[in-house]
Amino acid sequence: MIAIRNTTTFWGAGAQLLHWLMAAGIATSMVLGWVMVNLPPGAAQFQLYSLHKSLGITLLALVALRLLWRWINVTPPLPESLPRHERWLARAGHRGLYALMLLMPLSGYVINSAANFPLNVFGLFQIPNLTPASESLGEVASLLHLTFFWGFVAVLTAHIGGALRHHFVLRDNILRRMLPVRHASDDRSQS
Amino acid sequence: MIDATPNALRRRLLMALGLAGLASGPVGAATEWSILHDDSRLGFEATQQGGEFEGRFESFSADMRFSADDLAASRFDVRIDTGSVETGSSQRDSALPNDDWFNVDVFPQATYVADTLRATDNGYAAEGTLTIRNNSHPVTLPFTWEVDGDRARMDGAVVIDRTRFGVGQGDWSDPSVAGHEVRVVVDLTLSKAE
Ligand code: HEM
Repeated sequence: MIAIRNTTTFWGAGAQLLHWLMAAGIATSMVLGWVMVNLPPGAAQFQLYSLHKSLGITLLALVALRLLWRWINVTPPLPESLPRHERWLARAGHRGLYALMLLMPLSGYVINSAANFPLNVFGLFQIPNLTPASESLGEVASLLHLTFFWGFVAVLTAHIGGALRHHFVLRDNILRRMLPVRHASDDRSQS
Repeated sequence: MIDATPNALRRRLLMALGLAGLASGPVGAATEWSILHDDSRLGFEATQQGGEFEGRFESFSADMRFSADDLAASRFDVRIDTGSVETGSSQRDSALPNDDWFNVDVFPQATYVADTLRATDNGYAAEGTLTIRNNSHPVTLPFTWEVDGDRARMDGAVVIDRTRFGVGQGDWSDPSVAGHEVRVVVDLTLSKAE
């Protein structure tokens, strides 16, 4: 069993759950987004839009929770063995990911608000629109949403590439400390 | 011989006034009202992808005859310009006049004609026929009618199934896309016609 909270060497179960839940959610919303905009108008397209928006709003709530959790937990530092510029790059990348995790759903929420469409999250409850109806605002938000998507794809590629490099090339603990596995090296930091 | 039933009297009176030709259907003491459009709303509440939104028809006209003490002669005859639908969303508003929805080019008007008005516990009910896209179905509209001098307020609402009237066809008849139930809200301010 891993601890719920982070330690100085490992991410706890809370952070891991949020990380992998969001990873799955972000991948799904990207695929959904891409598929739905290429469908012909109709019921199927509407349903995918609905799902995409509901999932996106859920991710917005999760990233808020995640930032809060990060703030009230220790963050396992990057190993001292890493060159300075790599540590800087990793930190910049993570900040970029957090920014995009916020901006991606927020820009989507603005598209929907500017279209003055109602937003019912998974058929459970309706959330209010953020902005007044405006075609020009909708166009800007739509362009941003697409731009953030490509930015997200770029940063995620680096993020995943980096994680795999640590695991398979550098053979360090970086990927493992975000995985629900137990390691000898972790015993001392188990609480 | 003098037939003294009220209808006969009325008929004789009308004939005497030379108005018989204008009298179609029951015409009596029911007051004729005109709608003050600035203070009136013919709206609706509907759902899209499970979320609620509101809309209205900007342009409609009606012959409204109503007297609480002469319901038999009261009558509503409403014509709604379907192309005047407005829901505060340019995407929705550009879709609604299309073939699958109101098909405004072919069916520019919807109508509601109610000949039977009766008193209920909470106010009144109009039993009428709503026609949209040439589909006619009976619709009973419960409403309240409050008179204040020569002004009146009418408030009523009724839930209809849009698909019975052919509004939202094909893929759009799917309730997860747009709910079948639409609540029509009538909120009128009227003044006694001269
Ligand atoms: C992490 C969250 C999200 C991701 C990864 C994501 C991803 C995407 C992608 C890849 C597209 C297709 C891009 C295009 O071709 O324009 C898209 C489109 C869209 N997304 Fe999202 N999205 C997210 C959140 C949201 C949210 C929360 C909403 C609304 C509340 C939303 C509303 C839309 C809409 C309306 C489109 C249609 C494209 C447009 O009108 O520009 N998205 N999204």
